[in-house]
Amino acid sequence: MVDSLLNIKNLKTYYFTESGVVKAVDDVTLGIRRGELLGLVGESGSGKSTLGLSIIRLVPPPGKIIDGSVFLDNMDLMKLSEKELRKIRGRRIGMIFQDPLTCLDPLRRIEDQMVETVMVHMDVERDEAREMAAKALERVGISRDRLKDYPHQLSGGMRQRAMIAMATMLHPELLIADEPTTALDVIVQSKIMDLLEDLKESMKMSILLITHDLALVIERADRVAVMYAAELCEVGTSEQISQDPLHPYTKLLLESIPDVEAPKTKLKSIPGNPPDMRNPPSGCRFWPRCPYAKDICKKTPPKLAELNGRIVRCHLYGEGERG
Amino acid sequence: MLKFLFLKVTRIFSETEVASLKAFIIARALALIPTVLILVTLVFFVMRVLPGDPVIAIVGMKAPPERVIELKKELGLMDEAGNPIPLPIQYLNYLSKLVRGDFGKSLIWGKRPVLVEIMEHFPATVELAIAGFIVSIILGLVLGSLGGWMGGKTSSAVKTYGAITYALFIPWIGMLFQLLFAVWLGILPVAGRIDTGLEPPTITGLYLIDSVITGRWDSFMSALRHITLPALTLGLVISGVFTRVTRTSVEEVMRQDFVVAARARGIPEHKILLHVLKNSFVPILTMMGLQLALLMTGAVLTETTFSWPGMGTFLLERIQYRDYTTVQGTVVFFAIIVSLVNLIVDICYAYIDPRIRY
Amino acid sequence: MYTFRPLLVKLVPKVRLKGLTLVGTVMVLFTVFLAILAPILTPYDPTKSVDLSLQPPSWKHPFGTNKVGQDMWSRTVYGARTILAVVFLSTIVSIVIGVPLGLVSGYVGGILDRVLAMIMDAMYAFPGLILAIAIAAAMGPGIINTAVSIAIVYVPTYFRMVRGQTLSIKEQLYVEAARAIGAKPLTILTRYVFPNVVSVIAVVFTLSVADVVLTEAALSFFGLSVPAPTPDWGFDLKAGHPYLLSGYWWLITFPGLMIMILAVGFTFIGEGVAEYLGAREVKI
Repeated sequence: MVDSLLNIKNLKTYYFTESGVVKAVDDVTLGIRRGELLGLVGESGSGKSTLGLSIIRLVPPPGKIIDGSVFLDNMDLMKLSEKELRKIRGRRIGMIFQDPLTCLDPLRRIEDQMVETVMVHMDVERDEAREMAAKALERVGISRDRLKDYPHQLSGGMRQRAMIAMATMLHPELLIADEPTTALDVIVQSKIMDLLEDLKESMKMSILLITHDLALVIERADRVAVMYAAELCEVGTSEQISQDPLHPYTKLLLESIPDVEAPKTKLKSIPGNPPDMRNPPSGCRFWPRCPYAKDICKKTPPKLAELNGRIVRCHLYGEGERG
Repeated sequence: MLKFLFLKVTRIFSETEVASLKAFIIARALALIPTVLILVTLVFFVMRVLPGDPVIAIVGMKAPPERVIELKKELGLMDEAGNPIPLPIQYLNYLSKLVRGDFGKSLIWGKRPVLVEIMEHFPATVELAIAGFIVSIILGLVLGSLGGWMGGKTSSAVKTYGAITYALFIPWIGMLFQLLFAVWLGILPVAGRIDTGLEPPTITGLYLIDSVITGRWDSFMSALRHITLPALTLGLVISGVFTRVTRTSVEEVMRQDFVVAARARGIPEHKILLHVLKNSFVPILTMMGLQLALLMTGAVLTETTFSWPGMGTFLLERIQYRDYTTVQGTVVFFAIIVSLVNLIVDICYAYIDPRIRY
Repeated sequence: MYTFRPLLVKLVPKVRLKGLTLVGTVMVLFTVFLAILAPILTPYDPTKSVDLSLQPPSWKHPFGTNKVGQDMWSRTVYGARTILAVVFLSTIVSIVIGVPLGLVSGYVGGILDRVLAMIMDAMYAFPGLILAIAIAAAMGPGIINTAVSIAIVYVPTYFRMVRGQTLSIKEQLYVEAARAIGAKPLTILTRYVFPNVVSVIAVVFTLSVADVVLTEAALSFFGLSVPAPTPDWGFDLKAGHPYLLSGYWWLITFPGLMIMILAVGFTFIGEGVAEYLGAREVKI
C-alpha cells in the first residue's frame, strides 16, 4: 500500500464467553497511511473497538487474537514479546479512550501519571520528564499550573485533553482514538477534534478514529472504513463515501444522519438489529437488514472487491455485476 | 444560638465540607466528642435503668441496712447525707468524673481505681488484637488479591472461604486448634500468655516487643509460642471479611479503564498492579476500620478461650463478681478506644484518597 | 400491601438456584427440623442427669455424656430450640423497634432525624457483642432478657436500612402526588413507604441473622444467656472446655459443630441474596 504506516492483515479476534464464541473481528485487512486520519465507523458490537485494542494487543479476556498480523513498518506486532510490545505502546502507538474520568488513575496527580509514562520509555531525569509533561499539557491547551491537580478537579473536556497529552507526549506515529468525543457535548467535541487535527499536522501523526458517528468522520477524516458485524464492508475517501456510497449499509447510515437544512421529516434509522456475533447470519452478514438483498446474499459471503481505488464487500459489486 | 451551634456540629458530623486534610482532621476529631458522649450515656443508662437491683445482687437480700447505704454511697446512688441522688445528677456526676480520668473504683478487693485495673489488662488485648489483625490482613490481602487478579474458579473458592470463615464461632475454632496442636500434637501451649517467670521487664506492656528490646530471647520464644494459636484463631475468623472485600475491590478496579489506558502507555504489569492495589485499598481500608468492632468482639472471645489475660477476660470476670462500676468503666473505655481508632482510620482514609476530603 | 407478595415471590425462586444457597438452606432447615422434632428424636431429658458422667460416644449415647451425666445428643438437639427461639425473638424486637424508628426518622427528617441517626451510627460502630454483654449482664439470665439484649444491638442495623430506603422513596413522585392530594403522613408511611421497605427488612434479616446466632452463642458461652439446665450450645462449649486437655473431645465437638452449621447456613443464604441483589444498591 502507498506509504502505509500500519498494515493489518487478516486479523481475527474472538471472545470465548460462557455462552459461546463471539466473533468480534473476523478476518480484517486494513492499512493506515502516514499522516492520515482514518475513520473507522460502525454500530456498537461491530467490532471496531476490539480492532483498535487488537492492534496493540490489549484485548481483555475472554477475548483472544487468534490469527493475523499487524505490521508496523516491517515488524509484526503480533509476534513481539510483551516486553518489546510495551516499548511500542505509548511510544510509537498511543491510544485514548472514551471516558476520560475512568481512564486516569483517580488517586494520582496528572503530573505523576505523565512523568511515569516518560520514565518508562526514556532514560531522562525526573525534572526533564516534568518539563516534557508541562509542555505536553500546554500543547493541548492546558496551563502547566494544572499539573499538580487530580483528575476529578478537571472538567470533562480538559480531562480528555489531558489524556490526549499523555498519549501523544512521546510523539507516537499513530494515535488510536476509541470514541474520544462520545462522552462530551457537541461544542467540546468540536474543540477536541480541532486539537486532534492540529496534533496530526504538527506531529505528522496518523490517527485511527474509532466512532459510531459517521457525520463526524466524514467531516474530519481523510479516509473512511465502515465496519459491520466484525467485517469491513467499505473503505474509501471521505468524499467518495459521502457522495457516492457503495455498500447498502453505508448508504443507510448516511441517510440516517439528520439534515439540518432539509424540511422536517421522520428520523430515519436502519431497520432491524445488529446480528448476534456468536451466530452470525449465513452468507452476507448484512442481508437481514439490506433492502437490496438477493438469494446469493443469503448463501454466499461476499468477498472484498477493489473498485476505483476503493474497497467494497457486496455482491452488488463483485462478480462483474456492476462496472 | 444553641440551636445554631448544635446544627453546625451535627452538620460537620454528617458531611465534611472542607478542602484540606488539616481541616478534615479537626472536623472529624470534633465529631468524636458526640459519638463518645452518646456511647457513654447509653452505657450509663443501660447499667442504671435496666431491671435488677445491683445493690441487692452484690450484698444479697439479707444484708444489714447500713451496709446497703454504704454501698449506695459508693455507687454514687446516694450522697453523703444519705439522700438518694436523682438519675440525671448521677449522670452528670459520672461525666464530670470521667472527664478528669476517674472511671470509678472497683467494688471488690480493696477498691482500686478502675482505670488502673483496666490499664493493667489493656496491653495484653492490644498485643493479641495486633497479632490477630496482622494474620487476618496477610490472609485477606493475599487470598483476596489472588482471587481478584485471577478470577474464575480461584475467585469462587476465595468467595466461599470468605463466607465460611466469617461464620465460624471463635471459641470452637480455638478449641479445635487447642485439641489439635496442644493436646494431640503437643507442640504448642494450650493457654496463657507466657510461661510463668519469663515475663520480660515492662516497657510497652507488649511481651513480644519488650522481650526483644531487653534481649530476653527465652521470654520472646515463650511469648511467641503462646500467642500463635490465639492469633491464628482470631486472624482466621476476621480474615473472611478482608478476603471478600479485597477480592471484590481488586476485581472492580481491574475492570476500570485506567488499567487498560496505563497498559496502552506501555506501563509494565508490576507497576500497574501497584496502582490497582492502591485504588483497591480505599474500600479495604474502610472495611478495616469497620472491622475494629469485629476485632474487639473476636479478641474478647479469643481471650476467654485461651485464658489470655486481657480486657475480655477481665470484663467477664468482673461480671461474675458483680463488680458493676468496673464493668461500666470497662465498657466506657472500649467506647473511647473504638471511637479513637475509627478517627485514625478516617484520617488515613482521607490521606490516601483525596476525593474524600471534599 | 400489594407490593409485598410479588416481591417475595420474585425473590425466592431466583435465589434458591445457586448451589451454595441451596446448601445453606438445607443446613438451616436441618436445624429447624431438629428443633421442632426434638422430643421425638431424643430418648433422654436433656436437663436431667441420666447416666455416668463423661462417657465417650456409644450406641446408648451417640454424643456421649457430659460432666453432669446429661446425654449430649439430647442436649445438642434441644439446644436448637433455645438458639432459634432467642434468634427469632430478638429479630422481632429489633424489627419492632428499629423499623418504625427508621421510617419516622427518614420521613420526618430535621433535627429528630439528625440526632437519631447520630445515636444509631454511634451504636452501630460499637462492638455489638460488648454492648450485648453489658446489657445482658445488667438484665440477668433468661430467654426474654437475652433476646432483648441482642435485639438492642441490632436495632441500628434495621434503623439505618429502613431510614435509607425511606429517604429514597420519599423523593419519589408518587409520594409527592399523595402529599399533594392531602394524604396524612401516617397514611403515606403505611400505604406507600412501608410496603417498599418490607423487602429491605427481609434482606437485612438474611444478612445479619448469622451474626445474631453467633452473638447468642457468645452470650451463652459467657453464661449470660438462658439459665443453667436449659440446653444451650454455647454454654455446653464452655462447660466442656476444661476437659479438653484430658482428651474428652466429644463435649465440645458437637455443640460447636451445630453452631457452625446454623451460622454458616445462614451466611450462605445471605450470600445468595446478596448476589441476587448485586446490581441493586443494597448495602449494609
